Order: sequence, then structure tokens, then C-alpha cells
Amino acid sequence: MKKILLFLAAMSFAAALSAQDFTGGVKGVVVNRNGRQPIEKARLVLMQGAVEVAVSESSEDGSFVIPGLADGMYTLVITAPEFLENQVQVTVNDGYMKNMFNLSMTAVQQVTDVDDDSFAAFDLDDSGYNDNPTILFGSNDVFNNIAGYNFSAVRFRARGYSSESQDVYLAGIKMNDAVTGYSPYSLWSGLNEAMRSKETVNGSEISDYGFGGYNGLTNIFGNAASLRKGLRGSVLTNSSLYRMRVMASYATGLMDNGWAFAANVSARLGGNDWIDGVYYRSFAYYVAADKVFNRTHALSFAFFATPGERGAQNASTQEVYDLVGDNMYNSNWGYQNGKVRNARVRRTNEPVAFVKYDFTPSDKFGASATILYRFGRNGYTALDWYDAQDPRPDYYRNLPSYFFDANPDMNRHNDMKYGWLNEIWTHADDYPELTHINWDRFYNVNRMQADGRAKYIVEERHVDQNDFNVGTTFKWRPDDMFTLTGGLSGRINRSENYKLVNDLLGGGYFLDIDNFAERDFAAQPWKLQNNLDYFLSNGSARRLQEGDKYGYDYYAQVRNFGGWANGKFVFGNLSADLGARLGYESFWREGLLRKGLFPGSPSTEAEAAAWRNAGIEETEETSFGKSETAQFFTYAAKLGLNYVIGGSQRVYANAGYFNDAPKFNQAFLSPRTRNTMMDGLETIKTFTSDINWQYSGSGINVRATLYYTTIKDQSKVMSAYDDLQNAFSNFAINGIDQRNYGLELGFKLPLYFVENLSLQGVLAAGNYEYTSQPTMTQTVDNSAEKVMENVLVYHWDKSHGLDDSIIQQHYLPSTPQLASSLGLAYNYNYWFIDADVEYFGRSYLDMNPLYRTDYAVAGPDNTTTPDEIAYMTMQEKFSPAWLVNFSVGKSWFVKGRQIGFSFNAKNVLNNTSVKTGGYEQTRIVDNTVSKERYYRFDPKYFYMPGFNYMLNVYFRF
Amino acid sequence: MKKILLAFSVALVALSSCRSLKEEWDPVFTFGSNEPGEQHLYSESELSEFGFGGSFASIRELKSAYKSGGVQLSGNLWIRGQVISSDVSGNLYRELYIQDETGGIDLKLGKNSLYSEYRLGQWLYVYCDGLTLGAYNGMPQLGMAPDNTSTNEYETSYIDVQAIIDQHVFRGAYAEPLNPVVVSENDIQAAISAGYTGELWGKIVTVPGLVYGNEIFALMYPNPNMDHKNGNPENRVFLSDAGTWGIDTWAMSKSKYIEYVQSGNWDTAEVGSGATRYGPITGTPADYLAPDSKALAAFGPYANSSYKEIMVAFATANYVSHYFLIGKTEVQVRTSGYAKFADEVLDERILGGAPCDITGILSIYNGSAQFTLVDEPSVSVKIR
Repeated sequence: MKKILLFLAAMSFAAALSAQDFTGGVKGVVVNRNGRQPIEKARLVLMQGAVEVAVSESSEDGSFVIPGLADGMYTLVITAPEFLENQVQVTVNDGYMKNMFNLSMTAVQQVTDVDDDSFAAFDLDDSGYNDNPTILFGSNDVFNNIAGYNFSAVRFRARGYSSESQDVYLAGIKMNDAVTGYSPYSLWSGLNEAMRSKETVNGSEISDYGFGGYNGLTNIFGNAASLRKGLRGSVLTNSSLYRMRVMASYATGLMDNGWAFAANVSARLGGNDWIDGVYYRSFAYYVAADKVFNRTHALSFAFFATPGERGAQNASTQEVYDLVGDNMYNSNWGYQNGKVRNARVRRTNEPVAFVKYDFTPSDKFGASATILYRFGRNGYTALDWYDAQDPRPDYYRNLPSYFFDANPDMNRHNDMKYGWLNEIWTHADDYPELTHINWDRFYNVNRMQADGRAKYIVEERHVDQNDFNVGTTFKWRPDDMFTLTGGLSGRINRSENYKLVNDLLGGGYFLDIDNFAERDFAAQPWKLQNNLDYFLSNGSARRLQEGDKYGYDYYAQVRNFGGWANGKFVFGNLSADLGARLGYESFWREGLLRKGLFPGSPSTEAEAAAWRNAGIEETEETSFGKSETAQFFTYAAKLGLNYVIGGSQRVYANAGYFNDAPKFNQAFLSPRTRNTMMDGLETIKTFTSDINWQYSGSGINVRATLYYTTIKDQSKVMSAYDDLQNAFSNFAINGIDQRNYGLELGFKLPLYFVENLSLQGVLAAGNYEYTSQPTMTQTVDNSAEKVMENVLVYHWDKSHGLDDSIIQQHYLPSTPQLASSLGLAYNYNYWFIDADVEYFGRSYLDMNPLYRTDYAVAGPDNTTTPDEIAYMTMQEKFSPAWLVNFSVGKSWFVKGRQIGFSFNAKNVLNNTSVKTGGYEQTRIVDNTVSKERYYRFDPKYFYMPGFNYMLNVYFRF
Repeated sequence: MKKILLAFSVALVALSSCRSLKEEWDPVFTFGSNEPGEQHLYSESELSEFGFGGSFASIRELKSAYKSGGVQLSGNLWIRGQVISSDVSGNLYRELYIQDETGGIDLKLGKNSLYSEYRLGQWLYVYCDGLTLGAYNGMPQLGMAPDNTSTNEYETSYIDVQAIIDQHVFRGAYAEPLNPVVVSENDIQAAISAGYTGELWGKIVTVPGLVYGNEIFALMYPNPNMDHKNGNPENRVFLSDAGTWGIDTWAMSKSKYIEYVQSGNWDTAEVGSGATRYGPITGTPADYLAPDSKALAAFGPYANSSYKEIMVAFATANYVSHYFLIGKTEVQVRTSGYAKFADEVLDERILGGAPCDITGILSIYNGSAQFTLVDEPSVSVKIR
């Protein structure tokens, strides 16, 4: 067994040694500083200046051997998942094998369960905003480790970048969503053990697995041999998301016959202490096998999925939170027949399978190829209703503020109704039928309908992907001075977007018409049809039963092809990377239903005759068939310089320019209803640069970084339900520019006056601001008219030069631009105790483009005053927050078996007033007395839970 | 080891018990149907738990309590009636009519899609304490005290708040829908003479033998987002006193409205109201309003657009009142632009003068009788 491991260490990881026969070498055992337990699969890179001399990996007992070294001074860089990087100086002389004995590593976070479970499932679908979590990987990096774990609760985004800018790879395949670009953690959440082994680079550094962008790249290995050998199990309870997780994994490791097998299963169940209605009923499974045929050929296979469902949390206005006295109020749930039911439930089952082939014909050349396929179903339920009262309990007309406002211009002065509603909401527990969803009422209403036509149903919006990927990478290292890496990739993605009837709630059927078009086009029944062809064939709209698709149905078709290469040049202590990427990306919409509002043109004479008979008018915009294809040639270039100082320090700098294609979800005005794309869609241009200093050694780890990035010509489409328009309203925004710059500092320092005690901390101080005036086009789903077309969002930024007293600078939202943490870590005899204090500031609310238009600022009198500009364009800055966290853990070894626990308490001070995000509603109050100005609707917020804990009990056999 | 495991187990259970486990686990363990039982409908005897004293006032008695300006009701006053209106066709908005043997009353519930909640013929019991009895241009209404706003023009407001509705309106048994009462011209005249307490107001009736009067009435606001009260004649256009203005539909949806504006039939319609008449809609606000006036500024970029163009730009559905005659008595049939049958063309025979029987809710509007069709014309209007 050891032979195979040693062989792999030498072969698979390309231990590039000199062709000469040296007898010197280095060997030792990698151990955990806390308890001296061996660390398996630690990666050891032997450097001479900036030259990578050899690469190896520790075996099951932590041992390693790097033979064939010439006499000289070396630096051994040791990295392992969940440990901070360590560097030690090695001197080989007289041709001897240098025994380093125990090389200890410092565990960075013993409570590492950072995956998307660390984030509440925020329900933003109907708001028009996105808040996909960004997860910082890179446990070897002191900054990313501390920030990634401690800052996830406030939805910290490294350098202010969005989630889609972070590249996440699995087995060499980029897994970011083809349609949205979002990082895909939910595909493997609950499979922590299977996905634990990974490699990460930061910023615009280049990885061996892909070219990456400007926000780092993480490659998860995911193959059987990458799992830690043996049987592992854990039971976890936490109080902020789900009550219980049970997880087990078993891995054989690479056996003498060249096979490795692994499996991982888990279940996450229950609710939590903070947000009612949020729950998990989620499962996960993973099976994998590796076969190493010989020195040259190896094959890996894995198959996994995370079937299950989870209830989502909704945002509400501060008025609601204050009335109920709870910033965690969730309007998504209510009682049905006495039991809690959530209306917004994410239901997914998206299996992923991949086969990876590794080809290593020599020590100087290695390549791999992966085929990966993702498929299955991804649904998200929501209430749908036809000609019935708005079912949302916190709908603005159900709140006291709708009936009274101290501002006489708001024209709200009914004290009695205000008083009634104030009473209801301040005693919310006594009126659950009014302050939460009243499911029983839906049944009552549906049962009342004489013809059985349901008024309320639960719909399930689907984005079902068929995602086929191929990718190859290679690494050629002809000598110590030059390394060439590169790869090719291709992707064919067809995502079907549709919705279906999930639950008729006691009704007999639901009718497949556009509820919202009915108001304006009652006399033209063909215009109401979601499925015009069905209407023409059958003379009426389809009567839907549970499971039937309705409303909209289209494919998002995406094709990506590209290649990249990077040359690494080494000159003594200096190395340089120069890389480039070329690609072709295209996408189009393919409508599967012909919608009455946008029928397009008939394709046959018979069809034309049928249309004439029915009085159907042709439209320029169409909902059916293929749209035009958006095509983009993309390119990028990167330059990196790295200078090694002594054995423990390095200074490195990176710069990059990226010309990237927009994503499908940023391109279509209203993809649910028509094929029309936004005007003037352009590639996104990004320039980024950073300079870094890093120190690793003697238990000290420090990284400091300065960065500067500009991103130009971004677009996005926000779709929010607007009950004024009685439809989904779409805001297509084009030409968004931003600038991000700042400082990152992370450190962990032993405090020598107390043995085993370390001081650790991070500081992220940035400025992430908007720098352009985009244009906006507003459409509504139930109309062909454009409410606004290419309107300049004049007050989006400050480029018009107005004074600070009139308009403030506007910033990128939903992440603290100042985040810091300072703490102590103590390790002794398998105990660990961590405590830290955090400070977060300069976090901003997501902005609504409507409020920054001249139209909204000027108001109905079309007169703009400084006061109106200041009021309407203001961006809310969240109050800063202090948090205290605490962790403790202990493990025991009994007859070679390990059992332990970790307990993590977050937000120990029980601060329940920390806003983590939210959004401005895309509508205005126009019913004023003066008719001189408009007012904003109250924004909606998400808050961080108060004190919460996680207790994990585990065993490892 | 056993002790350690036991300690962990106890800790897990203890921590998991911090909150109501039952509710937390409901969604996890609820599989399949969990349908609630049938809705509870109150019998009169059950109302005692809400303070019902045992006897109902009639709707006539209720109306007799009215005083000019509206009156807030108090005491153990209950009425009952059967539902006679439905907003299924969109011609009624946020109100519900009930009727007993003495008359009908408009309940201003303030909710839309009431037909989904209250079935025609169903008994409702209304606890009147705290509600306000008022009038809108003479028509009896039961709602809440009026909004205390500077722009308020009403004696009552919508009840709006579900909690108030729940405490005042109780659903009773289902029953067959009431048949409309056939009324004569004399009945209508008698009701008009009686004014507020006229027995017909708020009842479902059939008026037989109505003949089309070839006249309509409509009031439109060129830019409905701007002020359009009496004090803003610059934003009002009346269609009246000159035949039908080319309107042959019961009302006009947004698209129909645009079609009518662009037809040219309204080109002579004047902007203004009362004594203030500016000129035809082919003119512009800049033509009619003082250059530096606030009224002109409010039109913003549309100041130099014709009113006709402004009406298209800000088009919205609009009601129409068609005049009919029974004998010498005028009865308006008012239809909302949001009615599903708004764009339905009046039958040629009606336009040609054929008499018809019309069924609907009869109301009084400034001393005239006004009909609201509760169903589409094919049901509510019978041509003889």
C-alpha cells in the first residue's frame, strides 16, 4: 500500500526532479501541532527560490519522502486542508537523506462546516434581487480561512465581488451555473467529506485547473482517493438552520489492486431557533471509484446528488419586524390544519456524474480529461392566485402604515384602522390567521368555487438543467525554469424553465391563462392564453391538474467553448506567470409555448388561416421558437510576478484584463414571455490588479494584499412582482460600471508568553462603488408596451458632479466594506478554544434603479429639487455591528479510534439587529396630497440570527 | 466512553428542546394530504358568543338611522341579509350588497374578488357596532368612519382591515340566490322621491321595457397620475350632452379607450369642468394654461403635447354610463372599464331602440336611478 502511495506521490503530482542521480533527500512525518496526530494527504512542495523542485504528498501515516535532491538550501512548503500553510528551511548536504522528523501544522478552524448550509436560503425570487452566497475557500490562506468562516453570517464577499465571479471547479470542470454564473454549492451541500479535498487560488492567480477570473478559483477533487481513508461519522445539531445533521462516509483509500472506493451519505433535518418556517428535509449521497491502471493511466468516476427540500426565509419591512418585535419574522409560512407549512420551498434533485481520465506518460508531462453531466430537477414553490385577494400576510395594505402616516402629504389618516392593525400585529401570536399565511382560507375559497376552478394554488418554478461538460488540462514542465499549463473546455447547457401546478389546495383545476393580461384584454381571449396553440386546437384554455406545466416553458440554451494557456518562468527567486484565454460563448432562448400576447408570426399558411379566423394579430416580438443567438468572443490575459525573500516570505503581484460575455439571465428583457433581448448588450470588461506580501513559517502566517479592480458594461435584469401592474415587472439595466479597491490583511501569530496560544485576525477594508449612469428599460410580462425604454438612470452614481450634500456616492450592496476580526486560539492536548471579536461596517442596501431616474426624483410636478434628489436617491447604510464568537472542542483517541466534539457559539452577545441584506421595493407612492413628489416604499431586510450554536459529535475509525 | 456518549446524547436532546419541537418538525414529517375541514358557517344561535342579543334590525330600520354626514353606529345592532352581488365580472369593486325583505345595503368591505369568499344567496350577519352608515351621492353605504384626510369626499371608508371584517361580518348558511324584484317606473319614482331610504336602493331588481336613450356620460382624466379633482379642470374631460360620442360598448378597457381617443369622435370634447372650459382635446396644455402656472408645469414634458396625445400616453380603463328610459324616467347603466365585458358592444337591437329588461343592483346617484350590471349583458340584459 505504501508503495502505491509513494509511487503516486512521485508520479501523480509530478515530482519534477533533475535527471541527474542525486542521493540526497528529505523525509519526515506531517503532524497536527495539537496532539501530534499524523496528517494524511498533506501537500509538500520543495522550492529553491521561486523554483519548484519537487512535489509530494504525505501518506496515511503522515510520512513523506522526497528523494534525489542535490545538495543545497531548500524551502519546504506544506499545505493541507484545514491547516495553515507552513514553510520550513531544509538543508541537504553530503548526499544524505535529511530526516525532518515531525513537521507540525496548525489547524485553522476545527469547526469547519462552511458550505452553503452556512447561509440561510433567502427568498428573493419575487423581489428582483439576487443574493447568492460567496464562500471563501482556501483553508491554507490565513485570510480566507478566518474570513470564510467568521464572516459568512454577514454575507461577506471578498473584495466586494459577486458570487458569479468566483470560479468553482469540480474534477477540472467549471461548475458555475451556465445561465446565471452563480457558484453551485447546493449541488453538493451535505457531502462535506466527499468535497473536502480541494485546491484554491486567490484573486487573479492562475490555477493548474483553469484560467480563472479575478475572484479566485477553487478546484474540488471529488474522486474516491481524495477522501480520507476509513469510516467517519458525525451527528450535528445547530440552532440557526436545521436541527440535526447525520453524516457518514467510508473510503478505502487507494488499495494495492489500484482501486479506491468511497461513499458519503447525509441527512439534514428539522428547523431552527430563529426563523420559523425554515426547515430542511435534505439528503445527500455520493459514490465514487478510482482505478489506477499503471504509472500512466488512471480513471475516476463519481456520482452524487442532494435530493431534498428546504423552506425559505422572506424579507419584510422594518415596520413588520418592529410590530411583531422580532427581526426574524418570516412571512412565508402559516398553519394548514394546525400544522406549519412554508409556501416557498426549494425542492431539488440534481445528480452529477463525472468520469475523469489522468494521463501521466512522464514526470514532465501530465494531462487529464473529464466528462461531467448534470441533470435533474430544481424547483421552487410559490403561491399563485387568480382573481383573488393577495395572500401575503405582510402585503403593504395589511399593515398599519397603510392607514396612517404622520406626513400629511401621504394622505393616510384613518386612526381606527391603524389602531386595529397595530393591535393585530403587536399580538401576532394571537392572530396567526392574519399575520401568517392562512392556508385554511385558501382551501375554503377554492372549495367555494362552483365550477371547481382554484383561486389559490402552489406553483413550482423549475429550472431543470441538462449540463454537459468536457474539459482537459495539461501541465508540461520541461525544466525547472519553465512550466506550461493549459486546457480546453466545452459546455452544452439546456436549461428548461417552466412552472407546474404543485398543489391545487382543494380546487378542482387551475386555468392556463395569463391572469394579469385578462384585465386589459378581456375582449380578446386569445391574448390571455399562455398556450395559444392549445387554445386554438381546443377552443379554450387548458384545465390544469397537479403536475401539469403551465404559464411559461422555454429552454435557455448556452454553448461555451474555450482554451487557455499559462507559462510560468522562473529566474532564481523571481518567477513570472503569463497567461491568456480565448473563448466563444453563445446563448439563445427557445420558447416551447406560444403566448397569446406575443404570438409572433404564423409559420404555415394553415396556421395563418387559423389566426385570421380567431382574429389573432401578429406581433414583432415572439414567445415561440428560437430567439436570435447572442454570440461573444471572449478573451483575457493575466500577468503574475512572484519574488521569494528568504525561505518564509514572498511578494507577489497580479494583473489581469478580462473581456467576458454576459450571462443568459442578464440578457433577455422578459424571458418568461418573449424572445426579446436587451439593446446594446456588450461584453463585460474587467481590469484587476493586486500586490501581496506573505509570510509563513514557525507557526506565523501573515498575508497582506492591496487590490484595485474596475468592471465595466455590466447588465442585469431584475424581475419583481408589481401589484400595481398586476404582473411581473422587469427592469433591464445596461451599462453598470463599478470600482473595487482596498486592503486585505490576515494573520495568525503564536503568543510566545503563553504556550499554545495564538493571536489571529483579519482586516478587509475596501471601497466598492458604482461609477456610471446605466440605462434602464422597464417592461411588464402582461404587456408588449415598454413602460420605460433606455431611460438614463441619471442618479445612479455621482458622475453628474452634484454636491455631496445633494447626492451621496452609491456603493455595491450587501457586503460589509469594512470587516475585521481579532481573536485568540488555544490548543492543548486535543483541546482547542477559539474566541474572537468582529466588527463590520459600511454595508449598504441594494439599490433600485427606478428611484435614481429623473422620473422618480422629479415627481408628478416634473420639478427636481435638491431635497427630492437627496431623498429619492439616498442609499441606506447599515449600522455597524460588533459580534463575539466562541468555539471549543476536544477529541480522544481510544484504541486507534478517534471520537470528539466541537461546539461553536456564534453571536454570543445575541445581537439581533444586524442587517445582512435586503432590497428596495421597485415601486413608488404616488397618491400624495401635493402631487409634487413621489415617496419610496419601505425597503425590506434580512437580519442575522442572534446567539446560535453548533454542536458536532464525530468519530473516525 | 459510554458516559461520554451518554453526556453528548443528553446535551443534544437538551439543546434540541429549546424551542417547540412539534412545530419545527411539522414540515419535515408532513407527507401527503393535510387538508383542513370544511369552513364553519354560523347559525344564528351561535352568534350569541359574539354578543348577539337575539334580534336583528331590518335594513330599512338601519337606513332610518342615517343622518347627513354619516353616523357611527353603536350598541348591539345586528342586521342580516343574503348576498345579492358578485364581482366576478369585475363590474363591482371592493363592495358587496346584501338584501333582506325590507331593502338592500352596500357593504364596503374593501376587498377584491369577494365572489370568491361570499356565495350568492348566502346569509351574512353583520354586527354594526363601530361601523358607519353613510351615503355616496345619496346612496346608502355601510362601512367604516371616513378617512381623516384633507382630500376625503366620502362619509364612509372601506372596512379594508380583515380583522374588522372578521369581527363584524359572519358567514351564515348557503341558500338559493334571491330572485330580482320586477319594478315599474312608479316604483323607481317612489324610491327617488323617498331619497336615501328608498326601498329599491341596493336591491337586485329587474326593470322591464327600458329603451336606449342614445346618450352616454363619462368623465376622463387625461393624466390620471396628476390631480384631477374639481379644482383641477385642466385635467378633466367630460363626454356628455352630445349623444354617444361614438361609444357603442358598455365601457372601455385601456385598449378600447385608446381606440376611441384615436378615432376622432372625441376631438370636439372639451377640456375642463363646470364653468371652466378650455377648449377641445386637440389643443395642448400650453395652449390653455398660463405659461408660468403650476398647472402647466405639472404636465412636464407633455405640456406641448395635445390632450389627445396625453390621453393615449396615460390611457387607462374608463367607465361609461349609458342612458336608458323607462317611460319618462332616466336610468343610467354604469359599467366599469375593468369589467370583463367592458368592450362588449351593445346589441344592435338595443341601439336601434328595441326595449329590453335589465337586471342589476339599483342605486341612487344624485337623485337619479343608476344600474350596475352584476353579470355580463347576455345574462343581465334581455331584449324583448
